[in-house]
Amino acid sequence: MNQAVISCLHANLPAVEAVLKDIELQGITNITCLGDLVGYGPQPNEVIELIKDKKIATCQGCWDEDVVDGLDACDCSYPSQVAEKRGHFAHQWTTEKLTKENKDFLANLPYSIRKDKCLFVHGSPNSQHEYLLPDMDAFAALERVENAKAEILFCGHTHQPYIRELANGSIAVKVKNSGSKDIQKKEMNLPMRRIVNAGSVGEPRHGGTKATYVVYNDITNDVKIREVEYDIELTCKAIINAGLPPIFAWRLKNGFEFAERAEDASHVCER
Amino acid sequence: MIERWALISGLKGDLDTYELIQKDLKKTPGNITLFVLGDMIGPEKNCNKLLHRLINPKSNDLQPWCIYGWWEEQILLESGYRGNQRAEALRINKGEEVVKSLINAVDKSFLDWIASLQFGFVELDCGLIHGSSKDVGDDLTLDTPPLTLLDRLTRLQVNRLFTARSTQQFHLELTEGIVHSEVQDLAGNHKKEQKVPQKAVIGVGAGKNYTLYDVGTDNTQFVRAGYQLEKKKNGFGLHL
Ligand SMILES: [Zn+2]
Ligand SMILES: [Zn+2]
Repeated sequence: MNQAVISCLHANLPAVEAVLKDIELQGITNITCLGDLVGYGPQPNEVIELIKDKKIATCQGCWDEDVVDGLDACDCSYPSQVAEKRGHFAHQWTTEKLTKENKDFLANLPYSIRKDKCLFVHGSPNSQHEYLLPDMDAFAALERVENAKAEILFCGHTHQPYIRELANGSIAVKVKNSGSKDIQKKEMNLPMRRIVNAGSVGEPRHGGTKATYVVYNDITNDVKIREVEYDIELTCKAIINAGLPPIFAWRLKNGFEFAERAEDASHVCER
Repeated sequence: MIERWALISGLKGDLDTYELIQKDLKKTPGNITLFVLGDMIGPEKNCNKLLHRLINPKSNDLQPWCIYGWWEEQILLESGYRGNQRAEALRINKGEEVVKSLINAVDKSFLDWIASLQFGFVELDCGLIHGSSKDVGDDLTLDTPPLTLLDRLTRLQVNRLFTARSTQQFHLELTEGIVHSEVQDLAGNHKKEQKVPQKAVIGVGAGKNYTLYDVGTDNTQFVRAGYQLEKKKNGFGLHL
């Protein structure tokens, strides 16, 4: 059966509506959301209410966490100080706009959702703030999936959709010196695992301007990245009208690839 | 002269053991650097004398280079050095009594010094940490899955990781590894084969059990405090 995985909606209602429509047109009813319902965009309450209304299973994203717990995201999440300032401003704006009810909804979202062999998280199983980029060290990537006891790990947070297969792995170890055990060698085969990044519905950073998400078939194990057009102008106008930084509108329109990407993607927030 | 590291941990206030190790090291050949990988304090003993000695080494002491360990983290948590968090894990696992004993074992005047300690050192291509690059309480042993060990090495970008948390002594080498990675995104397919260069994780032990590391040959020697005296008595050589 096909299921859809969406992430990083970022309060962009026209993009969310377009993606949900695209999912509906394919007859898919099973949808999982990987969080970041809010942040950057102008319609945080509207997006949360739509997700609640459709009863879409959702994990808590980094923005959802920070809006609730205060701005805990360490500065490493931002590529520059200007970007950080803009991020803080958007955070403040979102916190003020959100209703109490919607804040509570974000506060109570789970860190992860498990369905059979699939684990759904926002950033990584370690943290909502960890970036699993497509070119991350292959062993470290495999460790994230293995440690989470999953076969497929669905994540978002990077805003770049990809499917990564890690296969035919092995590691050999040797005990060189030990207080208690004799010298021994062993070699183990590593299982095949996959990481699927669902990209971003409301704040794409893959180089294009279309909203992205993925469709996963749990029988064939096939994963497809979908791109969906939406009314970008509508969102851009709402951003300007809301008094949010105009660059948020500009980058939606231009699909600026690295707008807010962390400089050191392997960095794990030590909060 | 041979470059050698002495790696100790888990003294938990035991000044006698520390003095015994200092004595050992004076007789150990080579140019020795002494690293204390945390757990200088603990709830069992009054730790003030040891802390005083670490901060103010005697003139003939080898200078100790200290980092904080799990017990230091607990006292810092409990004393409000980590924001609103308290030592809840300790409280739940060992009970209120142990939390109290820990607080009583260390004079408050040492807390600022403890708080000033680093999480770890990176020397050459080696990481020296109490637990691991992931967490001060990360308990790495011979039985930890190699993927996890590799992850901890990768996070620090080092080839060797010296760890103390498990209190065990071991030198585990990751001799080879390979994994095939295929990434599919909107731009197409990218295949890559990744190999592991040789790496190692070394458990340095705790208390009287400590480790000598020969930087030039990458050899470890697991010793017990007082071994130099034993050596004299029994006439056995450690090929140092
Ligand atoms: Zn996001
Ligand atoms: Zn995020």
